[in-house]
Amino acid sequence: MHDLTAKDLADLIKRMAGRVLAEREMLNRLDAATGDGDHGSSISGALALAVQKIGALAEPSPQDIWLTTAKALLNGMGGASGAIFGTFFLKGAAKLKDVERISQADMAALLAAGLAGVQARGRAQVGDKTMVDALAPAVAAFAAAADFPSAWRAAADAAATGAESTRDMLARQGRAKYLGERAIGHADPGATTIALMFAAAAEPSP
Amino acid sequence: MSARTHKLINRPDAIVAEMLEGFCAAYSDIVQLTGDRLITRAQPKAQGKVALVIGNGSGHEPAMVGWVGPGLFDVNIAGEIFTAPGPQRIVEGIRAADCGGGVLVCVSHHAGDRLNAELALELCEAEGIDNVELVILYDDISSAPKGQEAERRGTAGLFFVWKLLGAFCEGDCDLAAAKALAEKVRDNTRSLAMSLSSCASPITGEVMFEMAADEMEIGMGLHGEVGMGRQKSLSADATIDLMLPPILEDLPFAAGDEVLVLLNNSGSLTLMELFILYRRVAQRLAEAGITVYRAWLDAYATTQEMAGFALSLCRVDEQLKALWDAPANGAYMKQLPPDAKDS
Repeated sequence: MHDLTAKDLADLIKRMAGRVLAEREMLNRLDAATGDGDHGSSISGALALAVQKIGALAEPSPQDIWLTTAKALLNGMGGASGAIFGTFFLKGAAKLKDVERISQADMAALLAAGLAGVQARGRAQVGDKTMVDALAPAVAAFAAAADFPSAWRAAADAAATGAESTRDMLARQGRAKYLGERAIGHADPGATTIALMFAAAAEPSP
Repeated sequence: MSARTHKLINRPDAIVAEMLEGFCAAYSDIVQLTGDRLITRAQPKAQGKVALVIGNGSGHEPAMVGWVGPGLFDVNIAGEIFTAPGPQRIVEGIRAADCGGGVLVCVSHHAGDRLNAELALELCEAEGIDNVELVILYDDISSAPKGQEAERRGTAGLFFVWKLLGAFCEGDCDLAAAKALAEKVRDNTRSLAMSLSSCASPITGEVMFEMAADEMEIGMGLHGEVGMGRQKSLSADATIDLMLPPILEDLPFAAGDEVLVLLNNSGSLTLMELFILYRRVAQRLAEAGITVYRAWLDAYATTQEMAGFALSLCRVDEQLKALWDAPANGAYMKQLPPDAKDS
């Protein structure tokens, strides 16, 4: 598979937005178990805003795509989730300065920078029952793969496994940490969203 | 206990905008609605003073919209329901508040509030807005053990920080002194909350968590997260007897201390119940040799129609007592000037 262009990145965000929107009610129900029940609505709304803003850009660069997505999440969503998901794209965007075509290695570095930013901002480690439990294995699997299609596939599988693993965890960060053992039995909505986003990335480009 | 789920709203996605429109229309002598859901003072503070800003999720009214005005906040940034505003909106709030003496961004400690305020300060730095500081405030003893105070959540007891800090920043202080005063009040304040019922999310219309009719729960934050200590409902006196000792032990408050007391109605408790609860608080504090300087019994920060209350104590010295007595005029926090009380 060839390197990614700005158009490919815009398609990628669009596919992620579509997949998250399709699962909006499922994400709301997951959030209702441990939070206030609006995660699906708020993240699907912010991703739809990102798609709309990207569509309004004239000849955007790859950095413009990622930065626009970051701003839509940060400012269109608010709350802890907006700050964390927005930081993922914001730190990735910093890696795209003057980049026109993105190789698999470039994408791996971008994802790793996003993960590092998320962990620094949220102070979360693997095992804390947060989106990091899906994101960290996905980023590692992506970097270890041989080419783009297999990298997205491996990342999607790792994210799904990671999201599922949060079901039996005690929360150590975020609002659910005050639930104690009552959060056990419910998968983390943020980790589930990450799994959906990587699943969308692994779908064949239209 | 089943919660009321029908709310008198128009559309879930218009709640915040329509609520702010009504609020600012009703209290136009005190506040105005500017920019993107910024509540600012109708008459800005004098040039050169430290300005106070707070962003917070909506749905907790009168917090914090009712606390903008002389002697209190300069700007409140209202987020979506139970959701902290994003960083760009906080930056706009900082710009709107700045009157040349620096801006203190106050954060009631929840993940969303802290993360977005930190991002906002990074944006300020990138945009060359200097003389902005962040202060993280917390008081809920049920949210992290003693010794890990910085992990605790911000809840109703921050009422005291806002009132005393607001009065302090009407005077001639600098930003560092304002931040130090906020931390002083925080470090002398402790709270614990309880609830008898759940509430319905105004967005989804769903009850936020289930509670049996004969149960109560001690240790619960502002958003309806499940806390700790569910048990059979008790009488007013027995409830206070359970809640006051851990508060006193945590600081600790000791004989000879003087305190401010808040009984915050989290939604649908009656004033009658608050008065009966306070009667027991006053008895127990007197037994412990602790003097109440002033008490405040009202709905300051709510979680919709949740039936419950928070008990908060703040240890005060002469400086803090004078700041408590200083005038304030927010739509939902008023303090007359001392000379007006004497006449």
